[in-house]
Parts: sequence; C-alpha cells; structure tokens
Amino acid sequence: MTDFRLISNDDDEVARGLRSLYAAPAGDGYWNELEARIMARVADVELGWWTELDRWVRPALAAAAVLLMAAGVAMFRAHEVEGDIAAENMLSSPAVPVSTAIRPALQDDREARIRFLFGR
Amino acid sequence: MRVDTGNALMTAATTIELPFGMPSVSDARSDERALVIAAQKGSSEAFAQLVRVHQRRAYAVCRAIVLTHEDAEDAVQEGFLHAYRALDRFLPDQPFGAWLYRIMANASLDLVRRRKVRDADELPDTVPMPFRDPGESDELRRRLSHALTKLTERQRSVIVLHDVEGFTHGEIGGMLGIPEGTARSDLHHARAALRRILKDVRSDL
Repeated sequence: MTDFRLISNDDDEVARGLRSLYAAPAGDGYWNELEARIMARVADVELGWWTELDRWVRPALAAAAVLLMAAGVAMFRAHEVEGDIAAENMLSSPAVPVSTAIRPALQDDREARIRFLFGR
Repeated sequence: MRVDTGNALMTAATTIELPFGMPSVSDARSDERALVIAAQKGSSEAFAQLVRVHQRRAYAVCRAIVLTHEDAEDAVQEGFLHAYRALDRFLPDQPFGAWLYRIMANASLDLVRRRKVRDADELPDTVPMPFRDPGESDELRRRLSHALTKLTERQRSVIVLHDVEGFTHGEIGGMLGIPEGTARSDLHHARAALRRILKDVRSDL
C-alpha cells in the first residue's frame, strides 16, 4: 500500500510521519485569533478586582504599620506628659494651705505634702 | 528537520521586525530581553509581542503532551496566563523561551491530569487527529496515531518534542521534569516501539 512507503524502519521516516500527524495550524489567521484570545484573557486578569486589591495590599499594610507606630508613640508621649503634669501639680505648693489649716501641728510644708500623698 | 532555540530566536527577531535586515542571535536575545523588561513594567503590547513570537512553539509543546488540538489550545492559553502572572519573578537575563515552555509543559501536564480524573474511562483506540489535514493520507495517519496509543504518555511526548519540534534531550528533561538520561531512554524505547508496531501493521496487510 502506497501509504506505508512513508513509514519504514528508518527513524527519519517515522519522524516524518509524526510531523505530519502533529503539524500545527498553518494559517496566520488562526494564530492572530489565538493571540487575541490569549490577550483577552490577560486583560481579564489585569481588570480583576483581586489584582487591584493585590496592588494596594503592600502600600496599605505599610501605611497601617506607620499609623500604628505613630499612634503608639503619641499615646506614650501623652501618658508621659500626663504623669509629669500630675507629679508637678502634686509637688508644687498649693494655693491654699489646706493641710496646714487642718493640722497646724505639722512641722513644714514638705512633711505636709508627704503626709498628704501617703494619706490618699 | 531540527529547530533549535537559536532558530526559534531568529524567527522571533524577524517577527519583531528589526530595522536592519536579519539580526544575529544575540540581537534577537537582547530584543527579547527588552520585550520581557517592558512586559514586566506593565506593557501589554510587549507581552503581546512575546505571545506572537512564542505561541507556535508553545502550541507545539502543549500538543506533544495533550491528546487533542482543543486541549493544546486550552493549555497554551493557560500557560500564557501563568507566565503573565509569574512574569515579575522571571529574571530577564535567563532564556525566556526555556522558562515559557516549561510553564507550557506544566500547564499541559495539569490538563492531562485533570482530564484523567474527569474521565476515568479507557483511553481511546487512537490518538485524536489534528484538526487540520496536513496532506498525508488518512490511512497513514490513522495507523500512526494508533501506534502512538501503544506508547506511554511520556514516551509519546518525548518522541514528538524531539523528532517533531527538535528540542534536545536536556530541554525535554527540563520541560517534563525528568533527567536528561530518562528523556534519552524514553526516546529510544518510543522509536523502537513505533518501528515494531508499524512493522507488524505492514506485515498484517
């Protein structure tokens, strides 16, 4: 049979047969269309909301971390200032010497303050 | 005829339409590198150029692994999508083709695995024919496609990738995730099996 003259024990002829069997489409139209389909799918990926989300994840995380650090520093500073003011208020001499009025026997202002502090 | 990577890149450069005649392989490589870098920066036109340059060979790789033309088309599209998503991780100094064809082979192998899970039926008697008639007789192609079903999937992929597409044993090993020596031995066994089967068919006539 004529067909089988193409296939012999020779590897090259087997390869020729395989090439014939696995020949890719030849027309440019086919490849242009395939390229268009591939690029359409790529465009879908580009437009997907998850891609947009993905793009913003890193900046958003960085911004959140910076905000968190700033908030932490601000809270720490506020607490520190509050403590300073409280201590300052306690150590500064009061406008009306209440403790002296109540306990005139106290020796000095310093002792009165200490008693006041520990007595609260 | 063997198509090596150099030839493929020459074709690539021709497709890119460089201004001064036929470029050297290194020109083609640097052009491709430029395209890859542009695509990594978000140029879809550059990625389209890469698709244009590589889609035929990508199809051939997929077609060697899957059973039908339709599956090869699906695998090519999936492969390019994977490549697009992974483009940021590709180092432009590496050969883009080798990286891309490995992705294509993986996409094809995934498709074959999914098909196997989905249709647990027996393999068809013949490997489905390509959709296009390449001009050889139907009888020859029928016999050959029948003979191919007697090979293992890997042997079939190896012989097609080597004898039809001209990939080297090393390239085939890289694509299919097997050692070069295994690709070489698969090719040897596949050829021997095809010769034997086709000889038996002839003697039956």
